[in-house]
Amino acid sequence: MTSPTVSGTQAPALSLKGVGRRFGALQAVRDVTFDVAQGERRAILGPNGAGKTTLFNTICGDFPPTSGSILLFGEDISALKAYQRARLGIGRTYQSSLLFDGLSVIDNLYLAIRGARPGRFSMVKPGRDNPELARARELAEMVRLGHVQDRLVTELSYGQRRQLEVGMAMGLSPRLLMLDEPAAGLSPIERPELSRLLRELPRSLTVVLIEHDMDIALPMADRVTVMKDGAVVVENTPDNIQTDPMVHEIYLGHRRQGHA
Amino acid sequence: MTGMIRSWPLALTAAVIAVLVILPLLLPNFWIANILGRSIAYGIIALSLTFLATYGGFVSLAQTMIAGVAGYTIAILAPTAIPAGAGWSYGLAIPFAILMATLAGLIVGAIAVRTRGIYLLMITLALAVGFSLFVQSNVELFNGYEGIRNVVGPDVFGMPFRTPLVFYYVSLATAVLLYLGVMYLVRTPFGLVLQALRDNSRRAAALGYNTALHRIAAFGAAGFIAGCGGVLTCFYNIGISPGSVGMGATVNILIMSVIGGLGHPIGAFIGALIFTLIDTFAASIYDRDRFNTLIGLLFLVIVLASPDGVLGIGKKLAGLFRRKERSAEAAPVSPAQASPAQSEH
Repeated sequence: MTSPTVSGTQAPALSLKGVGRRFGALQAVRDVTFDVAQGERRAILGPNGAGKTTLFNTICGDFPPTSGSILLFGEDISALKAYQRARLGIGRTYQSSLLFDGLSVIDNLYLAIRGARPGRFSMVKPGRDNPELARARELAEMVRLGHVQDRLVTELSYGQRRQLEVGMAMGLSPRLLMLDEPAAGLSPIERPELSRLLRELPRSLTVVLIEHDMDIALPMADRVTVMKDGAVVVENTPDNIQTDPMVHEIYLGHRRQGHA
Repeated sequence: MTGMIRSWPLALTAAVIAVLVILPLLLPNFWIANILGRSIAYGIIALSLTFLATYGGFVSLAQTMIAGVAGYTIAILAPTAIPAGAGWSYGLAIPFAILMATLAGLIVGAIAVRTRGIYLLMITLALAVGFSLFVQSNVELFNGYEGIRNVVGPDVFGMPFRTPLVFYYVSLATAVLLYLGVMYLVRTPFGLVLQALRDNSRRAAALGYNTALHRIAAFGAAGFIAGCGGVLTCFYNIGISPGSVGMGATVNILIMSVIGGLGHPIGAFIGALIFTLIDTFAASIYDRDRFNTLIGLLFLVIVLASPDGVLGIGKKLAGLFRRKERSAEAAPVSPAQASPAQSEH
């Protein structure tokens, strides 16, 4: 399945129209409406429990929205399953790494590359000069795992797993990259490495990022959306967000008490 | 390339196959057919279970039943069967029986597609028991409790199939092809996706894989393997009856797989050999009818000592030796010596 690219059109990369997600009595996400332009870097901030990851899962298709609709480059994807959305070009990372532990780094990346391409049921072993294997090796270099590409995921350090997370999301050559706290749990020494890796992502790529670490989120974001209790509270540029008293109140203030 | 392939180098595989080819020249007929041949034929059914468990993380109790689908199909179609059935030639009946087993595998996979762990175990067990009760009560097609007799198999190069050497070599050739096929398959995109489902099916879906379809296809592949074993065991037993697909037969295959170890496909054959040896010699070791006690005790000992079965024990010993060597040489840790059996199934 190849996705029709709408180059030249001005359809937003991602358009959420009144998206809601309810789990029984809990309205985890309510009436979220915003557009992310093509090539834009959007950060989503908010305290724990604000519904950021639920919104992510709804966009990526882990479960459908219970209300509203989601458009990817102008195409309504609300009813599609996760694998179908992936094939349309949504790549994502997870807050806690979801990797294929029993496989090597290169096999993980190879699978990430194959996922959106035909021949998923192929029973022919890839040859040494297989272009997708070659691409997997490139990707391993890109996320700085070239030197450990033949190791099993279980043998990687925590930081290396986070790097592989990003590599997996990049594997399917996404049009929209969704990063769910890519730096979660990283040590202060590992953070700059990941931050650099994220800044090196191709500028044409549309990126939506959940991140608690302002030092990672704000420098790379074009716009920032702040969520609280499942709803969008503010949307603004990083500079204005930093000085917004309400954001301080609900997010930055909260955060300073909590972590600092 | 994962550690799985590294730890079983081609040279060792070739050596084992060579020994198995030469072995009949040194052993009496009883050993060739009733120990080795039988181990290999049942090992193939166990291989279908081990394949699903090792690479997909699916423990299916329906593999004996799927082998039974092939067994009953060939029995109904065989030209020599008593009571007489369709009377096809073996040349047609054998591939058709394996096809039916593959279909049965696909159906079981589709029915169980949403279940994992204990629920998958229960649903496949239910299907197995249901099938066994069905063939037992259906007289018209399956001849009920008595089953179908005199399914002797085709002649091979003018010799009856049940000549020990013929049965042994055909079983061995089938097992080697299936084993190598599995080892190849798990390095293909299809096999890698299967392992991805085992490790993290949510991620696999997020990468664009239709996880349900892949699961069903894997059960189909396992059905094909079980079908080959089902045809061979039907010839070995000169027929098939509800007992061949009952609860006891189902558990026996599970025991073989677990004793051998669910970490690697070869475990299925090791387990089948141990099981067959105990089954055959239980009477002379202790007492007639004490087979279940013996196999039960052995099962407990092996599972307690090593959840990865005999393979796991072997690997631990190998690891011990390697560690000693390494500490002696103080060589740097190579990334290659990953244990393949770390998948906790």
